[in-house]
Amino acid sequence: MKNTDKLILDLAPQKFGKAGIVWTWILILISLIGIIAYIDQVIKGQVVTNMHDYALWGIYISNFVFFVATSFVGTVTVAVLRLTDNSWRTPIVRIAEIISLAAIIMAGITIMIDMGRPDRLLNLFIHGRLQSPIIWDVIIIPTYIIISLLLLYFPLLPDFALLKSYFKDKNPKLSNAYGKLSLNWTGNKKQKKIQLNSIKIIAILIIPAGFILQTIDAWLFSTLFRVGWDSTNMGAYFISGASVAGVGALVAIIYVIRKAYKLEKYITDLHFDKLGKFLVLTCLIYLYFNINEYLIPEFTSKKEEITHINVLISGEYSSLFWFVIIGGLIIPIIVLLFKNGRKPLPMFLIGLLVVVGSWWKRYLIVTPTLLHPFLPIQGVPESWHHYFPSVHEWLITISTLAMCLLIITMLVRYLPIIPIQRTNDEQEALSENKTPCYEN
Amino acid sequence: MKIKIISVLFIYFLSLGNSILFQHLQAQNDKKNTVRLSVNYVRIMNEKDFLEIKAISKINKKSTRIPNLELFIHNNIDNQLVLLGKSTTNNDGESNYLLNLKKIKTDSTNTYHLKILFKGNDLFKKTAKKISFKKADIYTKIFTKDSINFITAELKDTSNDSLIEGEPLVVQIKRLFKPLKIGDELMFTNNNGAITVPIEQGIPGVDGNLTIEVVLEEHDNYGTVKASIKAPIGVPIVDESTFDKRTMWSPRSKTPIFLLVIPNILTLGLWGFIIYLIINLFKIQKS
Repeated sequence: MKNTDKLILDLAPQKFGKAGIVWTWILILISLIGIIAYIDQVIKGQVVTNMHDYALWGIYISNFVFFVATSFVGTVTVAVLRLTDNSWRTPIVRIAEIISLAAIIMAGITIMIDMGRPDRLLNLFIHGRLQSPIIWDVIIIPTYIIISLLLLYFPLLPDFALLKSYFKDKNPKLSNAYGKLSLNWTGNKKQKKIQLNSIKIIAILIIPAGFILQTIDAWLFSTLFRVGWDSTNMGAYFISGASVAGVGALVAIIYVIRKAYKLEKYITDLHFDKLGKFLVLTCLIYLYFNINEYLIPEFTSKKEEITHINVLISGEYSSLFWFVIIGGLIIPIIVLLFKNGRKPLPMFLIGLLVVVGSWWKRYLIVTPTLLHPFLPIQGVPESWHHYFPSVHEWLITISTLAMCLLIITMLVRYLPIIPIQRTNDEQEALSENKTPCYEN
Repeated sequence: MKIKIISVLFIYFLSLGNSILFQHLQAQNDKKNTVRLSVNYVRIMNEKDFLEIKAISKINKKSTRIPNLELFIHNNIDNQLVLLGKSTTNNDGESNYLLNLKKIKTDSTNTYHLKILFKGNDLFKKTAKKISFKKADIYTKIFTKDSINFITAELKDTSNDSLIEGEPLVVQIKRLFKPLKIGDELMFTNNNGAITVPIEQGIPGVDGNLTIEVVLEEHDNYGTVKASIKAPIGVPIVDESTFDKRTMWSPRSKTPIFLLVIPNILTLGLWGFIIYLIINLFKIQKS
């Protein structure tokens, strides 16, 4: 059997087993429940949420920030690892691209969910002011969606052509679809040249796009004169936090896919080890920025800053705060510093911990600040000093997370999650002791 | 004898009935709240004289301003009340009643005596408040000495045409919200019934005009007397409005140039590459 055939056999999309089908239906069900809750929210208005004049950004915005952060995985793994010439990235890049695309699509949808009048969405484009970072967000999110899509699509072209042939007899309809998606790919010199050139451009393009996206997301907060947000550190803080969230999500999802598709031969312990080192680096950088964010205000002791920090360190949000810092950063750093901590299962658990920590971190960035405005409203009801999402908010938010996983699941079902052509080229080059010629 | 008994019984029942009726009325009256009227006479020189009336009641242990109370203002002279007019309290429980002093009689000492009467209603008991005052005038003048501007004010009792000595006057500059007080905190009129206060330089005013007020505040005999004088001794306010400028807070038609240029360059740059990449997809398809 030829190496390519073996690779196709191993890496071609496979039908889901029972567990896969149950998993997909659970995600569909959760998504539907969320859609029903959202329809109810549109009919009744945002009165169904627990947002009010103080907590005017609630769980939807924290969830949006989480999705934007997670979408950064495409930039860090594909572009950064490429620029630093880390060839071990091959089996993980496509999964990273898929996560990146799914997360940024859901970020765009989540921000619309937060709008009281989604029917007025077009007004953002018609009447938007370029002075507002919200408009920058409106511009960069669709841009990043398209770049992520192209980043996923271009390297897939040879694989689509391979799959077209592979499914020709087994599933002609699928073969036909792959054929159309392959854009008549034959692998001739001209096509290869255009493809390699395009991938090179996207890999570079996604770096400024990713940095702009994360920075704008940070500026949504830091351009507002509020305690906890009014910080020049915010852009870098968000970029480092996004790296943590993205790599954490990548580790957790890679482990599940590897297990489900039995890809231990392709995604080896070495990949987890490398990703573990990468994750510990991002966690250390993020911890450094966290220290900056909390230590300096504590040191300068401005009244409002102290109130805010006390709420986080020892007040209403202290348990969440310490869970995020210890569980989401310090424990991962300690565990991942040890070689055994970078084995697949511990890495999966740490990845999950990091993702959960990252989600709650966004909640902590958004909520406590809003509850302590510089200009408090006179005679404000006591309830406005607290915020906890309503049932509608939880249902809708959980469903957006389920939708994100559903997009990833469907893409994993129909796309080769490890680049077939590239892996083949790599293996051939290795056997011939040559450097393979490809880009991703 | 029979008639006597009937008469006694009649008187007894009559007095019993009266007593019950009185108790009932008393009880009804007891349920009503008491209104307290506070009245101050205010004289704005060369403008108007009026009564500043406030109606307050303690309801559920809280002082509450009472709106819509109909008040009757009388001239009280030689124990006779002459109705001058009516006034009704506004939503803040306040009422200003304009006085025409020429039509109000004074006593032999040229003192005005007024009585404000509230006749009572379903909710509040009737009440009245008396006020007596004399007319006083404040005359102001601005002069400059050694390049410093001064204001001098003279307080005069018009009832006997005498200058008033030893009374506190406040000097302030009219501002949009609260007046800006100048001079010492307590300035008493001298033997000539006058005070003199230097006016600081550099106080801003529209077109450089300042309105300086001299006030005798809530005096027992004269009420509140206020005199104003306008003088071009301030620093003209320069309009620093950014309304027509390109700022971060202006409408989209006045976006700052750098914000038009940089985001558009970035957006067009990124989308330029995206279009190029999409064209490349077509090229791949055709190759």
